[in-house]
Amino acid sequence: MVWRIGVDSGGTFTDVCMFEDASGEVVVWKVSSTPDDPSRGIAEGVQQGIENIGIAAGDIAYLGHGTTVGTNALIQHKGVKTGLVTTEGFRDLLEIGRQKRPDLYDLQADKPEVLVARSLRLEVPERVRHDGRIETALDETAVREAARALKETGVAAVAVSFLYGFVRPEHEKRVLEILREELPDVFLTAGHEVAPEFREYERMSTAVVNAYLGPVMETYIHRLAGRLKALGLKVAPQLTQSNGGVIGFEQAARLPVRTVLSGPSTGVVAAQAIGQMTGMDRIITFDMGGTSSDVALLHDGQCRLTSEAIVHGYPIKAPMLDIHTVGAGGGSIAHIDSGGLLKVGPQSCGAFPGPVCYDKGSTEPAVTDANVVLQTLNPTHLLAGRMAIRQDLSKAAIGRLAEKLGLDVMATAQGIIAVVTANMARAIRVISVQRGHDPRDYALAAFGGAGPLHAARLARELDMQRILVPRYPGILCAMGLLLTDLRADFATTRLMVMKADILPAIEEAFAGLIRDAGRWLDNEGILPASRRLTRTVDMRYQGQNYELSVPLPDGPVTKATLDALVAGFEAAHKRMYGFIAEGETVQLVTFRVEAAGLVRKARFEPMTDQGADASSARIGAREVWMPEAGGFVSCPVYSREALATGNRIAGPAIVEQMDTTTVILPGMTAHVDAYLNLILEDA
Amino acid sequence: MNQLAPRPPVTVDPISVEVIGSALSSIVEEMGEALVRASYSTNIKERRDCSTALFTTTGETLCQAEHIPMHLGSFLAMIPLITKRFPAAEIAPGDVFIGNDAYEGGGTHLPDIVLAEPIFFETEIVAWAINTAHHSDFADRGHAHIYQEGIRIPPIRLYRAGELQKDVQDLILLNCQVPRERLSDLRAQMAANRLGVQRMQALCAKYGRDVVLSAGNALMDYAERKMRAGIVTIPDGTYTFADVYDNPEFDGEVPLSISVTVEGDAMRLHFEAPPQMRAGFNMTYTALLSTVYYAVKTVVDPTILPNAGLARALTVTAPAGTVVNARAPAAVFNRIGPSQRVVDLVHGALAKAVPERVTAASCGTVMMACFSGVQPTSGDPWIYIETIGGGFGARPNKDGLDGVHVHMTNTSNLPVEALEVEYPLTVLRYELAEGSGGAGRYRGGLGLRRVYRAEADCRFEFDTSRIRSQPWGLFGGEKATGSQLDLGADAKPLVLGQGALDRGQIVTIQTPGGGGYGPAAERAREAVARDVADGTISAEAAEALYG
Repeated sequence: MVWRIGVDSGGTFTDVCMFEDASGEVVVWKVSSTPDDPSRGIAEGVQQGIENIGIAAGDIAYLGHGTTVGTNALIQHKGVKTGLVTTEGFRDLLEIGRQKRPDLYDLQADKPEVLVARSLRLEVPERVRHDGRIETALDETAVREAARALKETGVAAVAVSFLYGFVRPEHEKRVLEILREELPDVFLTAGHEVAPEFREYERMSTAVVNAYLGPVMETYIHRLAGRLKALGLKVAPQLTQSNGGVIGFEQAARLPVRTVLSGPSTGVVAAQAIGQMTGMDRIITFDMGGTSSDVALLHDGQCRLTSEAIVHGYPIKAPMLDIHTVGAGGGSIAHIDSGGLLKVGPQSCGAFPGPVCYDKGSTEPAVTDANVVLQTLNPTHLLAGRMAIRQDLSKAAIGRLAEKLGLDVMATAQGIIAVVTANMARAIRVISVQRGHDPRDYALAAFGGAGPLHAARLARELDMQRILVPRYPGILCAMGLLLTDLRADFATTRLMVMKADILPAIEEAFAGLIRDAGRWLDNEGILPASRRLTRTVDMRYQGQNYELSVPLPDGPVTKATLDALVAGFEAAHKRMYGFIAEGETVQLVTFRVEAAGLVRKARFEPMTDQGADASSARIGAREVWMPEAGGFVSCPVYSREALATGNRIAGPAIVEQMDTTTVILPGMTAHVDAYLNLILEDA
Repeated sequence: MNQLAPRPPVTVDPISVEVIGSALSSIVEEMGEALVRASYSTNIKERRDCSTALFTTTGETLCQAEHIPMHLGSFLAMIPLITKRFPAAEIAPGDVFIGNDAYEGGGTHLPDIVLAEPIFFETEIVAWAINTAHHSDFADRGHAHIYQEGIRIPPIRLYRAGELQKDVQDLILLNCQVPRERLSDLRAQMAANRLGVQRMQALCAKYGRDVVLSAGNALMDYAERKMRAGIVTIPDGTYTFADVYDNPEFDGEVPLSISVTVEGDAMRLHFEAPPQMRAGFNMTYTALLSTVYYAVKTVVDPTILPNAGLARALTVTAPAGTVVNARAPAAVFNRIGPSQRVVDLVHGALAKAVPERVTAASCGTVMMACFSGVQPTSGDPWIYIETIGGGFGARPNKDGLDGVHVHMTNTSNLPVEALEVEYPLTVLRYELAEGSGGAGRYRGGLGLRRVYRAEADCRFEFDTSRIRSQPWGLFGGEKATGSQLDLGADAKPLVLGQGALDRGQIVTIQTPGGGGYGPAAERAREAVARDVADGTISAEAAEALYG
């Protein structure tokens, strides 16, 4: 018996997903999270989980973990006291940023808090030019003075970020050496290490976030590693990064800035794996939780990687899955604004007091209340009967809104759903149409507690024909950890114009990156046969400032490679912007190598067809409000646990399971595929 | 065949209005993103000095994605100007109109080139896709009148039924100093409108043309209701304020004043200003409207949708032929300068009615530095314009923001690592200007200091305000420091803000801070201590200002 374990540690629950290689058995274990020290909850969850299945920790072949420790420290400003050493004249760059104010019209809006106080941002004389020439040599005496001044203040981390440090890093390297001598116990990081790419503010911000989170993540990771070792775990645990791949704990502790999207990225990885299993290679993921929802687009089975994003107000240059988050979920509150339109969110009722139907004091209706009134959600009990609710309270709350709108209660409840659906559709347009993809060519993968409830209408809003609801929508993130490879990304910026004589320069740029990648793979203990390297180049027309990523064909770099790059770039430009600028000079900007170490992953075996008849899974019926059918209509209710491969259901129908409810609209049919996914299709 | 669509008589419920409103916003945002990403000039690709919108056939703003408030309503005149010149029956699918003139071409100054494309659904025009981009060209020009400021383009066809009118394009490009950039940015503008046309057609196909257009009307009514609901909360009365505008082009101060009358759910704003001047700082009436819409929106309700409805509760007047309501051929290149002062006037007047909703004066300028010349290696002409932020006025319950763009603009800076690669300039310092914010219970934001070195001989143009005056404080708060320029000891003097730089010459620019709010004596001790520790004011200044 070989067990693999994925642990997703969230704000409320820690999910442990265990998978046995040979039998394909999946066991899920949930414990309460321990936000003061999440490693405790994780260790407890793992221990209880393995006791439950009767194995020893030493039998675990793999343990992967997704965490929100970094994100939370960033949101709550609970990083460490951090210093910054930078080029003379530029210490305020961290605060000025792109000199934009946070909101065009709101005079009260504030910028995100700057992570290094002005008194801890120190300048040293030095200047490297864009062509690598040193104009002003590094003043080492000034560096030593800065180091001692920072030591006085008791900083726990220092970031070093100089102009053009990505072109010629020796000044930054020398500063790191001096700091190491003067501040031996302090977490150190430099711009050229975390983001060797142009745009000085974003690189500085990335280095600062890395320093700010460094000691927090180090402490967390060492604590967790210790607890897992104490349990008897023999394998090296892995942590998910924002790019969806996992890396070893030591590497994660050095580069915490690469794990800020660790949490949501695993859901996307799981969707990628499900896509592969089912043969669907065009998927839009829709992960709807209580207060927010994450969406992402998978083209050719893969989610696009972006090299930069603003996370909780801070620009970060790191490879991240292109995940778009909107502040609306099942707990979002509906209200009427001063102009008389119905709005939903961004305020949320949270877990406490929860929606009105929980009867814990809330009087403002949430999206969940609308679903309770419409009876798409069970009107008497939630969580598979464990929690009694009061529909009459939901009805009264929505009635108050209805009166103001001049509509009846049911139309208002349905209206809340329509407004949420429109918000979600807008989020999906951002990641699809705004990137040149037509959502009608994609299937919608719905998960999270509220995803399957709203997916059918969202799909119709966007004219999407097919919806996939995975077998375990609520724990998909934990499951994603069992389906991912080790991954790390390496990049370097070398501006060059596309012409025949750049072949050696391209080779040289990639040679350095491949060397770095090889060293990392060695450290992670990945055998040569399990290594995969993918090369891409960020390209643009000379004069543009946003690049498009173009994959480099495998094999040696030749004249044909250049042609393939130009062709790939033109195709991407045409798709994004609708035109090709004939005759314009093409520029190569940033060279990237993505290194993957293939590991054994959980494999799900297909189940045999049990026939179309789903009647044995039917557990009852209830009236559900469906404007598509003209009002209340009697819907059969099915138990997800009892549905078997091959079963077919015609809409309207409701499928209930402990962690979610799936709505099948009139005119849709659903069937259970060989991997127990529920596939909804518009007839 | 191409009749303008009449107002459809459908009533749409508030929920569909919200849903279609989301779709319209998403269309203009998508257009804006395409424009920025496909553009070439630093002014658009990095600084996002551009804006996209959908307009009704009668020329009302249906929905707009503005990156800077100066563009809010800035193409108000474009559609009426087109339909006046071209009967609807002559407009065909694939026609694209271009214009920039401040009086005849739908812009507010010549660098803002507007492209408009009719959106046909079935056989008729249902709306217009429109966008503007600030082309940083027309540098090193005079500003005695608009003829000196660049080529004036009335609305004419750049494309006729999808066919490029190359003659027109050639004529325009020959009048530009950096034609290659202009051409590429025009292509990006085309791409943006084309997206708008396709998305709007798809929306009409999905919901029906009448439903979409009726929802558009309902969204305007909605913006109007929100504006009126906000105005009602301001006490009735007439509030006045006066200030001065100064500029390197003029040796003196221009007096400007406002009288705001709030009556129930409506607001009248009347401005007084001297006759228009032989200088680049006159404003057209549409620029005055954009400015007023911005200023009132910030005080009344920042969330009001940017469509034509927000204007209905407002009456804006100023005598024609004055600096704030200029007639042709007044020069208008730097209309954003006085517009910043117009915002100060609106806020200054309303401070008497709703002190908790306004701020002390912000830096009051859009500090512009323009460098131009020929590249030392290639001999190609180059133009680089940047605008530098300043201090935000202190707020009723907190300090003003340091070093940001205020009010009518919000463009990004260009990364030093991009600037120095493209232009023969070096940036030596970029920092907060210590002590530049006005003292007060809440301190005004700090201005910025930016130091350049010219790496080749070049032309230099400097435009700002608050040289002779200073941003004011409110309710006992102190003034901030004003604009400062230092060209070095033996520099040749600038004439009307323009001059030449020698290779190696160092230029230091400091922008104004924001005014303080409330008496300095009431500032919390800890806040003063933090300012001193951070070096945002010196210990001596702290002692002198706060005791």
